[in-house]
Amino acid sequence: MRRTTTALIAGASALALSASTAAAHIAKACGKNDNYVIGFSQANNAEPYRQHVNDQLTAAAKKVPQFTLQIADGAGNVNTQTSQMDNFITQKVDLILISPFEAAPLTPVIARAMKAGIPVIELDRKSLGEPGKDYTAFIGGDNFKIAVEAGKYVADKLLPEGGEVAVLEGLPSSTPAVERLNGFKDGVKGNSKIQVVAEQAADWLPDKAQTAFAAMLQAHPNIKAVYASNDMMAAGARLAAKGAGKKDGDIKILGTDGLPGPAGGIRAVAQGEWAATFTYPTGGPEAIEMAKKILLDCADSVDTVVTVPTTAITPDNAKAMMGN
Amino acid sequence: MTQAVRESLPASARRRLDPLSVAVRFQSVIGLIVVAIGGVIFSPRRHGVILFLQPDNMANIVRAVSETGIIAVGMTFVIITAGIDLSVGALLSLSSVLTATIMTTAGLGLIPTVLFVMACGAAFGAAQGLISTRFRLEPFIVTLAGLQVARGLALVISNNQYINISYGDGPGLAPPSFAILGDRLFDNVVPVATLVFVVVAVVAVFMLNFTRFGRYVFAVGGNERAARLSGVPVTMVKVSVYAITGFVSGIAGIVHAGQFNFGSANDGTGYELTAIASVVIGGTSLFGGAGSLIGTVAGAVMLGALANILQLNNINAALQLLATGAIIVLAAVLQSLVRRREGFR
Repeated sequence: MRRTTTALIAGASALALSASTAAAHIAKACGKNDNYVIGFSQANNAEPYRQHVNDQLTAAAKKVPQFTLQIADGAGNVNTQTSQMDNFITQKVDLILISPFEAAPLTPVIARAMKAGIPVIELDRKSLGEPGKDYTAFIGGDNFKIAVEAGKYVADKLLPEGGEVAVLEGLPSSTPAVERLNGFKDGVKGNSKIQVVAEQAADWLPDKAQTAFAAMLQAHPNIKAVYASNDMMAAGARLAAKGAGKKDGDIKILGTDGLPGPAGGIRAVAQGEWAATFTYPTGGPEAIEMAKKILLDCADSVDTVVTVPTTAITPDNAKAMMGN
Repeated sequence: MTQAVRESLPASARRRLDPLSVAVRFQSVIGLIVVAIGGVIFSPRRHGVILFLQPDNMANIVRAVSETGIIAVGMTFVIITAGIDLSVGALLSLSSVLTATIMTTAGLGLIPTVLFVMACGAAFGAAQGLISTRFRLEPFIVTLAGLQVARGLALVISNNQYINISYGDGPGLAPPSFAILGDRLFDNVVPVATLVFVVVAVVAVFMLNFTRFGRYVFAVGGNERAARLSGVPVTMVKVSVYAITGFVSGIAGIVHAGQFNFGSANDGTGYELTAIASVVIGGTSLFGGAGSLIGTVAGAVMLGALANILQLNNINAALQLLATGAIIVLAAVLQSLVRRREGFR
């Protein structure tokens, strides 16, 4: 009932607006006085990074009293995720956030949601459509830029005098693995005294990273720094370094993702095990911010692509970050 | 008609008189009704409308279970013969990869592609059946190996990549009519994938309950030795049921490719377990010889309805797994009660 009234008011104000502009609100119903349900269709809860996304989103949504966040776990299955999206449409949630497990398979159901008048914000992963047209907006990090930051940090801060550097790559066929590898190599180019002497794929896995980095250390005992494309591989690299008789700090280890918790990169940097890690931003707070604009402020348009910058976690800020 | 087959019929007729047996026979239908009533009671409402009962929500439920449902129908045949087929999920994935590859590269046309993929599925299943009967190997082992082989083949054919299907006329594009599998008919309500499920189920019910082959399937599962002695072509029946699961996995793979516009070597993981769960909840005994396809279909839809009502109420996915586990145990306990009672007679 209350929703109908608000819709009427919104309709009236939209009518008033349309006198001056042709633009319509993104949301069918909006305004500060109503409550809204936001559905988040997560690709797969069983990944530490995605759990971190859920936590950040939940925390950000809690700060907005009008919002109720519903998280559905796609469990790494496109059929499950599609049916959960369909359920959101049936429920007529007010806004949908989605990290599609795969792009093409989830594209049709995203179109269905948009057709039903529900704004769809894609988080971290994109569908096949065009932002602003086939879905409302995309919010996510830029893998290449994040790795460039890591490369520059090695070139300028860690090894200004140069030296041998190794790279542990993610799963070879995956886009983020390629982007992070190229980004890092691009970032260290600024310092000509740095040599990338070894790069190996360790498929995002700590055990493979340990084996690979142990072999690298055999072949290149002078390696001074290693860049791992995710935190788990950085943890594996540290085990290999310890196995080769190195103490923490002897080899500068850099991770990516910057996950919280006892197994995450922030703790490892705070306790001096690694030199740094670079967050892959979840986009959670930014997504809730955009939802506020759409649902509470009745925005007519939003930025269709939002790239969230990385945060470098170094010994300077790691301890403070751990508190968060 | 053979002696053993004739004997198995009055036995099932007698079973029907016992109330507990009746309950077990229709346990999944009863379960589905219970879940549906629970769905109505606990459904969130919007403007007084019960969301659970809305036509598009019903459509969502039956669409979500259509792939595993199609597979479960085939699995029922195998389990009635006291066998098991673990390869179905991987075979779905292989079929989706085959479909996507042929559609986007070979330009074979819609009907030939579909027929070819279904034939491949049936051949794969029949091969497993042949190996199992010829070398007297447990179907569990043979189809476990088949699972690995099908996944491996899917990875090789897809070259470790997802194969996206784009539609249109010309090289590299699939016939637009194939996209109908992802559509909904009749005022945008009835999913085409569900219609395929219904057709598969109807044909299967006819085969199992109204043909000689169907009676053979029950006979082989009830008492293989007796069936063999009374002239039932046991090997042929066993190979056929695995060909059937392979065939329906092929269909499910085609439906998967059509619904999601892609083929992937990683999809269908765990579908074999969902299918087996649907069959067991449906009242088919893992010991063979007894079972019902209506039960399987109701079991599959019940699992879908349960997942739906939990999500509509924003209840944790973990609870869904717990509930499914509890229901499987309950179904198995009911069956064992019936078996024990019959044993006393």
